[in-house]
Amino acid sequence: MSTKHQGWGWMLAVDFFFAGMGGGMLLVAGLIELFAGPDRISLLGNVLGPLCMCIGCGFLVLELGRPFQAWRVFMNPKAILTAGAWIMSIAIVAGLVYASFGLNPAWFGMDSLFWQQWGALRKLLAVLCVLTGLVVAGYPGVLLGRHKGRPFWVGPGIITLFLLSSLVTGVCAHIISGLLYPPTVLPGAWAALPTFAGGLLFFQLIAWIGYIWVKRTGATAAEAASALAWISGRFSDTFKAAFLFMGTIVPLVLVMIPSALCQGIGAALVLVGGVVMRCLVVAAGEDRTWLPGEQKYRSRLPIGNEAFLKAWSR
Amino acid sequence: MARYAMVIDTRKCIGCHSCTVACKVHNELPVEMIYNPVTTVGPTGVYPDLHMAHIPLLCMHCDNAPCVDACPTCASQRREQDGVVFVEDERCVGCLACVMACPYGARHMNHETGAVQKCDFCKDRLDVGMRPHCVNTCHQKARVFGDLDDRESEVAKLVNSENAVRLLGELNTEPYVFYIYGLEVKNP
Repeated sequence: MSTKHQGWGWMLAVDFFFAGMGGGMLLVAGLIELFAGPDRISLLGNVLGPLCMCIGCGFLVLELGRPFQAWRVFMNPKAILTAGAWIMSIAIVAGLVYASFGLNPAWFGMDSLFWQQWGALRKLLAVLCVLTGLVVAGYPGVLLGRHKGRPFWVGPGIITLFLLSSLVTGVCAHIISGLLYPPTVLPGAWAALPTFAGGLLFFQLIAWIGYIWVKRTGATAAEAASALAWISGRFSDTFKAAFLFMGTIVPLVLVMIPSALCQGIGAALVLVGGVVMRCLVVAAGEDRTWLPGEQKYRSRLPIGNEAFLKAWSR
Repeated sequence: MARYAMVIDTRKCIGCHSCTVACKVHNELPVEMIYNPVTTVGPTGVYPDLHMAHIPLLCMHCDNAPCVDACPTCASQRREQDGVVFVEDERCVGCLACVMACPYGARHMNHETGAVQKCDFCKDRLDVGMRPHCVNTCHQKARVFGDLDDRESEVAKLVNSENAVRLLGELNTEPYVFYIYGLEVKNP
């Protein structure tokens, strides 16, 4: 029991990570299919994309107060959470069916899988993967940016940050997948992914610095105070060390080195940085635009382990 | 059709927390849940010009309620007949979307039931012509409740005649709880 005000926890941050990364993987897979041709990236990556979204959905369900009634989130077409749930469901189905085009019929003891002949369907699914992947990749940013009372989240800037992070984690997941299970067509588009990841990481670095700077200097007092927590407050050490340095700058250097080991380590670090970033952003939402006297009031509330609260049950 | 609203005259509130207790007792709220806290601003100023204000907080029953828009299950609703915002317990899945969307911190998770709860202006009492518990219990008459659409109601007269303000009015949530301040109260 705690009388402190509650909000979303780490499981939602992990959901954002897996869903965003899965969306990014679908987007990249669809784009490469449409503009570079089939089988240019790893089958493992194509399968992992929708599976990551499923894992994200699992964390979202666990975060609910009533997980067994999770189906109800599909009910309100006006709510952004409902839109997200529908789009993610479509993306998962489209991604899995698209990935099935890369399956080797010999694994099932057959000469061919009948649907693999339908090239038009494959292209259509690739388009669907691009569209739904893009929405899923940017969706957490849209969800958070609409919160009027959460000064660190509010505004469209957070959409850019989430979209960039989803893209870069998606690309890096494809790099790792390709290292573990190489694509059929090599070197192909997959070989260019590390350079693409490097470019995205550079933009991510600039976008984050810009976002914090704008929040600190050009917005309301509450937004400025929220940004301070990232510059010199409770989030600053983790943000600078784990996300900016280990999750962005170091991998930016590593992925540019033409070595599979370096690129693999760099890609793995990006994924770790993506989780850290989302945990920090979700935690930053605990701070609302406080009402008069509210901060002092809430700071005095018991946290739940005080003796007087347990006295009745003795 | 009515549009229920509450005016809180902070000049009369002495910070006794009777409303907080009445609400908790009558609504049988868990220990950790407080629908209407009373915060204190101050004391400010220099002796002998000292000021202190008590600000009772509660759900603002916004016309443009972000919590209603955020709810993916339609559990958070706004009654058309009187504007009361409430949670239909059976539909709530405890996703906390409304908790995060509310700029006033007026929503709370009940960990025993897994659902979100909030002040509903004691709508069951309103339906039988009674006033909310917090209004009834306020011995200073700092809380005035009524139909804002009725021009003769005390609440309509106070909103129109006094300098009644809305909390975080800049967010365009159009809250229907109004405050009358005796001195300037700023957000910290």
